Formats: sequence, C-alpha cells, structure tokens
Amino acid sequence: MSGEYLELISLNIWHIVVTIINLLLLMLILKKFLWKPVKKVMAERQGQVDDIYRTAEESAAAAERDRQLYSEKLSHAQDEAETIVKAATERADRLGDEIIENARKKAADTMKKAENDIELEKKKAMNDLKNEISGISVQIAESVVGREISEDDHRQLIDSFIDQL
Amino acid sequence: MDSINITGAKILFEIPLFGGIPITETQVNSWIVMAVIAALCIFLTRGLKVRATSKRQIVAEWIVETVEKLVRSNMGERFMGFAPFIAAILGLSALSSLSSLFGMYPPTADLNTIAGWSILVFVLITYYKIKSSGFGGYLKGYTKPFALFTPFNILSEIGTPVSMTFRHFGNVVSGTVISALVYAALAAASTALLGWLPGVVGKIPFLQVGIPAVLSIYFDVFSSCMQAFIFAMLTMLYIAGACGDET
Repeated sequence: MSGEYLELISLNIWHIVVTIINLLLLMLILKKFLWKPVKKVMAERQGQVDDIYRTAEESAAAAERDRQLYSEKLSHAQDEAETIVKAATERADRLGDEIIENARKKAADTMKKAENDIELEKKKAMNDLKNEISGISVQIAESVVGREISEDDHRQLIDSFIDQL
Repeated sequence: MDSINITGAKILFEIPLFGGIPITETQVNSWIVMAVIAALCIFLTRGLKVRATSKRQIVAEWIVETVEKLVRSNMGERFMGFAPFIAAILGLSALSSLSSLFGMYPPTADLNTIAGWSILVFVLITYYKIKSSGFGGYLKGYTKPFALFTPFNILSEIGTPVSMTFRHFGNVVSGTVISALVYAALAAASTALLGWLPGVVGKIPFLQVGIPAVLSIYFDVFSSCMQAFIFAMLTMLYIAGACGDET
C-alpha cells in the first residue's frame, strides 16, 4: 500500500511549497476576478448614491428658497391688499361724508331760501293787506265822515296802528 | 471482515524532478477546488451592474462584504488588503474539506496542505513583527519579560503554526477516521444482525444507510466550515497582533 498511498502523517517539502503557491495563486485569482470587479461596481454605486444625495439636497435647498420667497411675496401681497382696502375704505368714507355734507348744506340752503321767500311773501302779503285795510278804512271813514280827509294822513295813521297790532 | 486501512493521499504520478515529486490526490483536488473557485468568481462577476439586479451579483457582493467586514472587525482598516487572502484561506479550506462530500480525498486531510498555510501565516507574522518593531526589537521580544523566558518564547512562537496546523488537520482527519471506523463497524453489525437473510439480500449492509449521513453532516459540513473559519480567524488575529496596536 505504501507504494501507492502516502502515510497518513507525512511531510513533503514539495507538497508544502505547492500548497503555498496554490494559496497565493488563489488569493490573486480572488483579487482579480472577484474583488476588483465587485469593488469597482460598489465604488461606482457609491459615486452615484453620492450624486443622488447631493442633487436631492440641492433641490431641497432650492425648494426651501422658493418657498421662503413665495411666502414673503404672499405676505407682501396681503399687506398691499390690506393697504388698498384701507385706502379705498377711507376714500369711500370721506366721499360719503362729503356727499352727506353737501346734501345737508344744500338742504339747509334750500330751506333758508324757502324761509326767505316765505318771509318775503309774508311781508308782501302784509303790505298788501295793510294797503287794502288802509284803503278800506279810508273809504269807510270818508263815507262815515262824508268828507275827504287827506288820504296820506290817514294812511300814515293806520299804518302805525297796524304796526302796533 | 475487512481490515480498516487509513492512509494518506493516493499518489497519482511522480514528476521526475529533484529525485521525484509525487503528485497525489491532494494536489489534484486542490487544483480542482481552485478551478471551481475561479470559475465561480468569473461566473458571479459576469455582467455586474451598478444597480444590482441579478442574484449572482448579490452573492458576489455578499461574499466581498462579509469577508471585508470580518477583516475590518478583526484586523482593522489598515489591513483591508488582506481581505482576498483571508477569502482565499476560507474558500480553499472550506471547499477542500467539503469536497469529501463528493467522494474526493479532501486536501485538508493532508498534513502538507495545512502545514503550508501555517508556514505562510508564520512567515507573515514574523514579517509584520520585524516590520513594526525592527529586527532588533523582534529579537528582543524573545527575552521578555526577562532572559529566562527566551526558550519558552521561542517554543510558543513555533507553537503557533504547529498548533494551527494540527488543529485543522486533526479535525478533518479525525472526521475521516471516525467515519471509516463507523462505516466498518456498521458493516460488521449489519452482517451480524442480518446475515441470515438469504442470498444477496444478506450481503447488503443495510445499517450503512442513513447513520453515516448524520455523522457526515457534522464532520463534513459543520466541521469543514468551522475549521475554515477558525483558521482564518487565527490568521487574522495573529497577523494583526504581530503589528501591535499602533499604526
């Protein structure tokens, strides 16, 4: 048997050398055929992932910037709208006040004019009435006295009398 | 009853150089295992994509990442270059031992194989010891804690590769030996129990069915992977330890 088989525990320097070469060779095989391609792909993936992360961060920052810009603009717009409404309200109030004031003034004027007219008419009517009464009185007096008295004297007399009424 | 012969590797042929180099099953099976690993590497890394879609690529990346994680946690970032070497030890040891499942002679059952690996590891340990503390410092290390310890230190230094060799070798060979013994014992038991059955039926060793498979699961599958892992682990720890803690 010993011609065909090695002893169970036997050392052979050449076998040891071959084994060492085998192990180193396998290391090189693994390095070249497994490590290198896999590491390369992983590095590429890492690069892509980094890229994606950077892009994502950039877009997030841009979005945040836009959002701030828009909210600023929005608040500006709100302020502006408020100012416009306020100004319009003020103007409307003022205009309304003016209109009311005008109307009141006009009414007052009209009233005053009407009063004046009335006063004038009254005076006129009074004068007419005075003339009429004095005329009638003179006539009555003439007919009673039978003579003509100076009409002017009488008129004066009567007028003063009426005024005293 | 057959006599039980437990021998080393079968000598296939001799290379007529330096007084004859016998080429045994160990060498041939090692080369077969290496070829299988190389083919596997090429197969797994075919058509790698940045966005992994194939199972092959996931397996390839898993192997690389697992070994790198192992190296990183046991040796540190500065030894990452050792990852393919550790992977080579793991793959060669595990697949060599597992080759016995296919009825091949496991190269790890040959003392020369493990001795070769251990010697390589020993050389690396010594190289890193000298590199980290200089040749004088390396020699001085043998006199620590004082000169009386020198013989023990030398013994322990040589003991490292020897113990690594015999741990691995012993585990694999003991599995082979026990398997052979159990096999023979089962054949004998089978003949004793069922030999009365007529004709050919009595000659069939029924007890050999099943029971050796259970042993095989331990010795061939579990022990193979375990020993590969232990050997790789010791390699990493010894080499990293040789360098000291400083960078």
